[in-house]
Amino acid sequence: MGYEWDFSVVFGNFDLLLLGLVNTLKVTGLALFFGIPLGLVLALMRLYGNKALRWPAGFIIEFLRSTPPIAQLFWFFFALPILLGVEIDPFSASVLTFSLQSSAFFAEVFRGGIQSIDNGQWEAAKAIGMTRNATLQRIILPQAVKRMIPAFLERAIELMKTTTLVSTISYSDLLYQANTIAQSSYRTLEVYTTAAAMYFVVILACSLLVGRLEHRLGRSGEITRG
Amino acid sequence: METNQNTEVLCLEGLKKSFGDLLVLDNIDLRVTKGETIVILGASGSGKSTMLRCVNFMEVPSGGRIILHGEQVGKENQNGSRTYDEKSLSDLRSRVGMVFQHFNLFPHMTVKQNVMEGPRTVLKCDQAECERRAKLYLDKVGLGWKADAWPSELSGGQQQRVAIARALAMEPDIMLFDEATSALDPELVGEVLETMKQLAEEGMTMLIVTHELGFAYTVADRVLFLSKGKILEQGAPEAVLINPKEEATKNFLRGHGSFRLPEPNLD
Ligand SMILES: Nc1ncnc2c1ncn2[C@@H]1O[C@H](COP(=O)(O)OP(=O)(O)O)[C@@H](O)[C@H]1O
Ligand SMILES: [Mg+2]
Repeated sequence: MGYEWDFSVVFGNFDLLLLGLVNTLKVTGLALFFGIPLGLVLALMRLYGNKALRWPAGFIIEFLRSTPPIAQLFWFFFALPILLGVEIDPFSASVLTFSLQSSAFFAEVFRGGIQSIDNGQWEAAKAIGMTRNATLQRIILPQAVKRMIPAFLERAIELMKTTTLVSTISYSDLLYQANTIAQSSYRTLEVYTTAAAMYFVVILACSLLVGRLEHRLGRSGEITRG
Repeated sequence: METNQNTEVLCLEGLKKSFGDLLVLDNIDLRVTKGETIVILGASGSGKSTMLRCVNFMEVPSGGRIILHGEQVGKENQNGSRTYDEKSLSDLRSRVGMVFQHFNLFPHMTVKQNVMEGPRTVLKCDQAECERRAKLYLDKVGLGWKADAWPSELSGGQQQRVAIARALAMEPDIMLFDEATSALDPELVGEVLETMKQLAEEGMTMLIVTHELGFAYTVADRVLFLSKGKILEQGAPEAVLINPKEEATKNFLRGHGSFRLPEPNLD
């Protein structure tokens, strides 16, 4: 009893799926755009801040890492509007949630990257009179970021997969669009297979791109001995 | 008075440093005149590195005074204690060059960029001046031809010479060398010592921690022997290396059996 594949529904609604993919990329992209700098700030606060900065930064990071993303999403979409007295649309709630959520993970990536740089680099910079900020900017971060690329990529992929949660608050991402089409057409198998393939293609393309970038950077300067 | 201040580059007065309960430097007094090359010897753990690191405040001394060109480091508070803000320490370090055992070149920068980094970010020199210094000091250590190489493409000896050029590019008043050849393969030690010797001959003021006694003998104007955080013995190389007075110095020299004097007529 072979299943009769029929992709006509998929072809007929491909524009809707594409729109969903674009929305997925929009949320992911914006979450990266805000989450990475915010993560850097949190990491620097945690590493070099005084107590008044270190402690809150540590708390925020741990809190965001230790609560389920869907609970955070619901909080920003359903609970925060009660506090503020204004509606928050699904898109804004999604971007807000995933920017903050990913910033916590990026903070830990930054922290690990910065701490992996040999102390001799700090000493050498100090010895020629460089200040701590200048050393971070010009010596430590450029090396750390290079080492962090694989971890960044992994987090970004994880983030894109986690954004599928936004379909639960009716934001029309790829998964939401797939749900809608599948439910109205009963072509569940074809629709979800296509959606999965679209996620796969995008994520694979990102991986390949980052891999090439890493290779290019890898050629300029290696780790010095000692 | 004027001449005295002009010729005295560095003065340590009653320098003390402890880590917790451990007293590592105990009342070090030292006057270094312009152009002098001082070699510091001593067993491992005697405080040699700590002494150098106090001079440029990589370690903040626990007591005593450090005077560079007649000026005491840091700002004096009303109660007589001193604070060391980032600006004045940066200022001090830009005038004191330091070369480490592990060369610590910046691996993400080319050789030339390594040398230009200090002049650019600390001294705020313009591009032309940075380029001039990079060329001048890389040529001085014999590596002008490697200006565009990455540190990872150089031998250990070449990397250390770039590190020396990077320190020289700040045009410091004094250079500190902390076991600059200890991490090198034996066949690469000579080129670095040769560079240091050349600097000494050109009149650079230098404090050198090394275990190369032959080098100390030929290059030093003065040799200090450090033991348990004190200067136990000091004097001309002949005095300290050939006719040491203290038992600890004799023991130390015996432990460096491979030391051969350059002049065969002595001993
Ligand atoms: N940052 C530090 N914290 C604690 N102890 C230190 C530190 N640096 C050096 N020491 C101690 O100070 C003593 C002198 O060290 P060091 O100056 O490195 O000696 P040397 O260079 O002559 O071998 C050693 O006992 C060492 O363990
Ligand atoms: Mg040492």
